[in-house]
Formats: sequence, structure tokens, C-alpha cells
Amino acid sequence: MAKSTIKLRTKEKGGKIQVKALITHPMETGIRKNKKTGKKIPAHYITDLEVTANGKPVITAEWSGSISKNPFISFKYAGSKSDSVTLTWKDNTGKSDSLTKKIGEK
Amino acid sequence: MASAAISTGILSTNNAFAAAHGGDIRAAKSVDEVLKMLGATGATESGDIKIKAPEIAENGAVVPVGITSNIAGTTEITSITAANPTPFAAKYIIGESAVPAVKSRFKMGKTTDVIVVVKAGGKFYTAKANVKVTKGGCGG
Repeated sequence: MAKSTIKLRTKEKGGKIQVKALITHPMETGIRKNKKTGKKIPAHYITDLEVTANGKPVITAEWSGSISKNPFISFKYAGSKSDSVTLTWKDNTGKSDSLTKKIGEK
Repeated sequence: MASAAISTGILSTNNAFAAAHGGDIRAAKSVDEVLKMLGATGATESGDIKIKAPEIAENGAVVPVGITSNIAGTTEITSITAANPTPFAAKYIIGESAVPAVKSRFKMGKTTDVIVVVKAGGKFYTAKANVKVTKGGCGG
């Protein structure tokens, strides 16, 4: 299996789970031009991102081309050490990826 | 393929999203248009929304922005980069268990206001912060 585009780190502290994720993605806006050819680089960005804990939605994000290349997201939620966190993304070209990790798993 | 099944799941929420806003919010060209699509025109200004962004960003391609809402019952956090050609940046739907605070990285073409719209208990609240973008990367 190819290497996942998602890096996911979770940590439990005082009943809250800190989730940090880094996704490898070009996040092209569709506005930028290729300097050599003068042609526009087609838009290619993540439109939807979903994080669930034990299958229950925690945060759902709708993104656009205004999010930086290789996007990063960090947030906290009330959960327990036994949770498993899943992050799924989908981009405007229909590609997607998903990764599940237990709390604290590297 | 497992990934195909997952993508259809998200796709349906995306369609619902487009329908709910009466158009493609990502293609909206002005802040007013974005606010209209959110149904958030005339949102109340609130000091309970904290935006943590650099005053001066040397590299507009990666600007870390942290948003925290201290408003009870926050369900949605939307951020808009006013000066970008398509200002809509991100909308987060905050689940019951999640703390209404998100950090992510934005692109900013030039110096801009970052406008945050928070939906809590069916009402909209807003706050903004200005980020100066210096293109040369020399901080000047």
C-alpha cells in the first residue's frame, strides 16, 4: 500500500483528546499560472474533511483553495484514551484518503 | 474499493452543503456574497471569538490561524480571507464533543482581514483580525 497522505497524532490530557493532522496535498486554487506555459494550473484542493471518534463525527470541515498547501489542522475534543480517531478527506477531483488511529498511536 | 465507499459518503454531505447555501460558496467572489450564502448577513460582532493570527506574515502561502469561540453552543466556525479572489476559506462544523477551537493554515495573497463567523444557537456572531502579508520574505 502506498504511503498514506495523512499524518495523524492524538494525545489524551485531562479528558480531552488533542488531534493534530497533516495532509500531503497540493491545494491548487485554479487561479495560479504555470510560469513557463502561461496556462492556469487546474484547481486541485481538498473540499471535505471529516474527523470521527469511534465512528461519531467530531469535526467536519469544508475547505477551499484558500487553505495552504499540505494542510494542517489541530483541535481538541472530549473523549477517552480508548477512542480511535478516523480522518477522511476528499478533494475536488474525487480523490480521497482515510486513516484511523488509536489515541496515542504513532 | 473501500475508499470509493467513503468518498460517496462525503459526497452526499457536500451536495447537501451546496443545496443549503444556494450555490457554490467556494466560487463566491466577495465577502458579502459568502455571508449571504451562509445566511450570516448582519452577524453580531463579538469579543468572545478569539483569532490568533500573526500581525505580519512573511509568507502568505502558509499563515497559521487559530480560532477559538467562547460562545456557548457554537456549532459552526467559518473563516473568510477578505482579500483573496475567492474569500471563502473554511467552514468547520463542530460536533457535540469537540472544543470550538480550530487551528489551521491559510493562504493569503496580500494583506487581508480574516473574518470569522460563528454560528451558535442559530445566531451568527463575527470577529475579524488583520494580517499584513509581506511578499519579499524580509519582514519589511
